[in-house]
Amino acid sequence: MYQYDDYDRRIITERADQFRGQVSRRLSGEITEEEFKPLRLQNGLYMQLHAYMLRVAIPYGLLGSAQVRKLAHIARTYDRGYGHLTTRQNLQYNWPKLTEVPAILDELASVEMHAVQTSGNCIRNITADHFAGIARDELEDPRPYCEILRQWSTFHPEFAHLPRKFKIAVTGAPGTDRAAVRFHDIGLRIVENASGERGFEVLVGGGLGRTPMIGEVVREFLPKRYLLSFIESILRVYNLHGRRDNKFKARIKILVSALGIDEFRRRVEEDWEASRTPELELADEEVARVSAFFAPPPYETLPANDRVDALVLGRDRELGNWVRNNVVAHKVPGYSAVVISVKKPGIPPGDVSDTQLDAIADVADRYSFGHVVVTHTQNLVLPDVKTSELPGLHAELRALDLGEANANKLTDVITCPGLDYCDLANARSIPLSLEIAQRFDRIDYLNDVGDVSIKISGCINACGHHHVGNIGILGIDKRGEEFYQLMLGGSPGNDASIGKILGRALAQDEIVDAVEKVLGRYLDARESPDERFLETVRRVGFDPFKEAVYGTADLLETTGDSP
Amino acid sequence: MPTPTHWIVTGNFTEDGAVAWRRPDGTWSRRIADAGLVVDEVTAKALSATARASEQREICDPYGIEVQVDGHMIDPLTARQRIRANGPTIQLRRPD
Repeated sequence: MYQYDDYDRRIITERADQFRGQVSRRLSGEITEEEFKPLRLQNGLYMQLHAYMLRVAIPYGLLGSAQVRKLAHIARTYDRGYGHLTTRQNLQYNWPKLTEVPAILDELASVEMHAVQTSGNCIRNITADHFAGIARDELEDPRPYCEILRQWSTFHPEFAHLPRKFKIAVTGAPGTDRAAVRFHDIGLRIVENASGERGFEVLVGGGLGRTPMIGEVVREFLPKRYLLSFIESILRVYNLHGRRDNKFKARIKILVSALGIDEFRRRVEEDWEASRTPELELADEEVARVSAFFAPPPYETLPANDRVDALVLGRDRELGNWVRNNVVAHKVPGYSAVVISVKKPGIPPGDVSDTQLDAIADVADRYSFGHVVVTHTQNLVLPDVKTSELPGLHAELRALDLGEANANKLTDVITCPGLDYCDLANARSIPLSLEIAQRFDRIDYLNDVGDVSIKISGCINACGHHHVGNIGILGIDKRGEEFYQLMLGGSPGNDASIGKILGRALAQDEIVDAVEKVLGRYLDARESPDERFLETVRRVGFDPFKEAVYGTADLLETTGDSP
Repeated sequence: MPTPTHWIVTGNFTEDGAVAWRRPDGTWSRRIADAGLVVDEVTAKALSATARASEQREICDPYGIEVQVDGHMIDPLTARQRIRANGPTIQLRRPD
């Protein structure tokens, strides 16, 4: 993984020092909250309902074991013994004291981490496919380009005050999108052109939030050397023409939609022709230099005939289900990637305790070359595990309460912090997720229902990605009380679609029952066990599900309702 | 939404972000039960403005909220403020 050079180290250390001074001035009353707020946000420090929240950047989700141990230490020493994995591959602490945040930033800097680019109207932490570098379906590892983008974007003076936040995601697997690139301000897909040359398909204007949109192709093939100059032109057009009068209409998707993709493309190409200079061209040597940090670990030469099938079908059913659901094929024979699910009944989704983090670091050292990846689905990945060692690893994870066999299954719910923590939320998300986890915690049922995603957001800002859940749940406020809209049909992948509202909003005590009714109707309606939930919804439409949830009579009343 | 009987002023402590409730004497408490009650929104706004101007070192972003008072119980009218007053509704790993 990438190692800081002197320049990286200096700017992060200096930033931590600057923030210490700013905190000191705030605490003394020398500066007001109004003056302090933009400074703290530039260092990832939010004010939530009950406390500050510090969001730590994890570039493209990749952590070394020393960093994981440091995150555990911070959770134990400065917070309440846990961290929370976010839907942008970061980790946040929910209870830091302002007085201690400078010390936390020093701790982070000591392991080449920080909290910049996790808030504010800047280019946010770059995200990527969580199986980057190991996926069998990958054309090329996207992480070197993520790292190049990180270095280019950090403290970029021209883009420090954009109209609104700006998110970039990269995937190197053109056949399978695990990074939701179509729902980012810029999505990059590594592709090959007709001549076999590799470059990027560039998508722009995707996003969730109050106006969900699927990104459109602004350039079908961009030679790699132009990555930075072309993205600069996109950002320059956005910076110049994006709206600043209304924060709800300030994202680039609104500009792209208003101009139309053809006019937006014309402006970008015009700027690019006029502004691109040789110094922004990515030289092969620079790509090679950065790529060297992501060189494969020293894999052993192992037989291709691994034991995955035998484990899936073996007598140990707990192990078999875990291998079936949480183990992913690796590009190197004899190795597997393992998803560590942190979605367990009784535990808020994405929360990981300090002791678990310490143990995960140890496990990563012993089983996976010391690497851990945070997924945008709020889980962790051990990317390089010998397949022969899966049983031992599973036993250790079980002992840590991290052996749930539910990756990509019904109870692997993406959940925003919601009204239990978040100042923006209208309704709670975590209690719904906990109820779902408890209600459907039956492995045979999970396997029968198959791959179906539930995503829950406590407000329209959509941190829980509800628009792209096969089943999406959105919390809304009705006269000060919590209600929930149920949505169906969303998908974040190559078959991207935005879910639609099923009917009238439901009360908290109705929503999980409604999910169960939807699933029951799916099981009745699917043509075969191989037909996934999303395929059934697309084939049969919404009416059978409306009837299941609201009843036939209610269906008539609720048609056209816009809660 | 129920009709408010009173208004109180709230914010967050600068030092640790904890929820703060303004007492009748202008000091700040971590317990909603200590909050000073006012009987109209105009007064709550005036107190919030005073706090914003002169108590900003200790408190962030003070504002008034609607409550119902039944005996000694102060009950905020919205789910958001009830959760602010009582803390997260889920079990925390370490309550502190």
